[in-house]
Amino acid sequence: MEIGEEKADGALVIAPVGRVDSVSSGELERHVVARLDAGARRVVIDMAGVEYISSAGLRVLLVAAKRLKPPVGALVLCGLGPSVRTVLELAGFTSLFTIEPARAQALARIEATSAS
Amino acid sequence: MRRLLILNLCEGEPVNAGETRRLSVPATDEGIKAALDALEGLWAAQGVSRAVTWPMEVSLDEVLANVVRHGLAGRGESAQVELELQLDAGDPPRCEVRIADDGPEFDPLRAAAPDTSLGVDERPIGGLGIELVRRLMDEVHYERKDGRNRLRLVRRLVAMEQ
Repeated sequence: MEIGEEKADGALVIAPVGRVDSVSSGELERHVVARLDAGARRVVIDMAGVEYISSAGLRVLLVAAKRLKPPVGALVLCGLGPSVRTVLELAGFTSLFTIEPARAQALARIEATSAS
Repeated sequence: MRRLLILNLCEGEPVNAGETRRLSVPATDEGIKAALDALEGLWAAQGVSRAVTWPMEVSLDEVLANVVRHGLAGRGESAQVELELQLDAGDPPRCEVRIADDGPEFDPLRAAAPDTSLGVDERPIGGLGIELVRRLMDEVHYERKDGRNRLRLVRRLVAMEQ
């Protein structure tokens, strides 16, 4: 699995590419946990490059959400295509996360959250 | 209307026989990857859009993850999962995936549905896979036969309705 990264305005963007399934999600989890252990507290996960996500990938999102609960941290998801959005909805995850259409809005949301 | 007439004239025979692939994969991460790659290959060969096939791929991943990490866990590379991937052409195309393993009896349809209304703190990590399969597929059938778990997943390949 390819995992893109961008540091912007004090926030970290993590952008997995390809299918986030039971095989590849382990790599994504190690990546995310390593960044959180290193002190990342304002995180955007950009799913624009994700073909689909299965429950193993949802588990990674939940791990991140538990560790980035406000006010200690902030987590925003963005770039959800139809398949990713549908799986999150079926799992009841859309109410657990802050979700923005694209990376620019997600970064603005993180900025606003931190300022308040 | 015209389509119905054609189907009637064919007396139940599919307009296009479609394609079936049989494969056996080890109960490992590599095996899961090989199975998902084979399913992707089936779409590519038949020209079916990924926009309508992803529920099959997610569901196959969920089922195989369960089999590999629970049913056949600890059995090593000698444990195999038998797969039949069938794609019937049509409008819409129909996909059927059959998965067989000789692990302990496990009927995923009898597993308790998780509570998807809990918040971040209460939400247990995991337990969602089988529920996703149930919600993504048109049909899920389980039978225990000849000491094997046999699971059959069926879906018409149309966009998910919300």
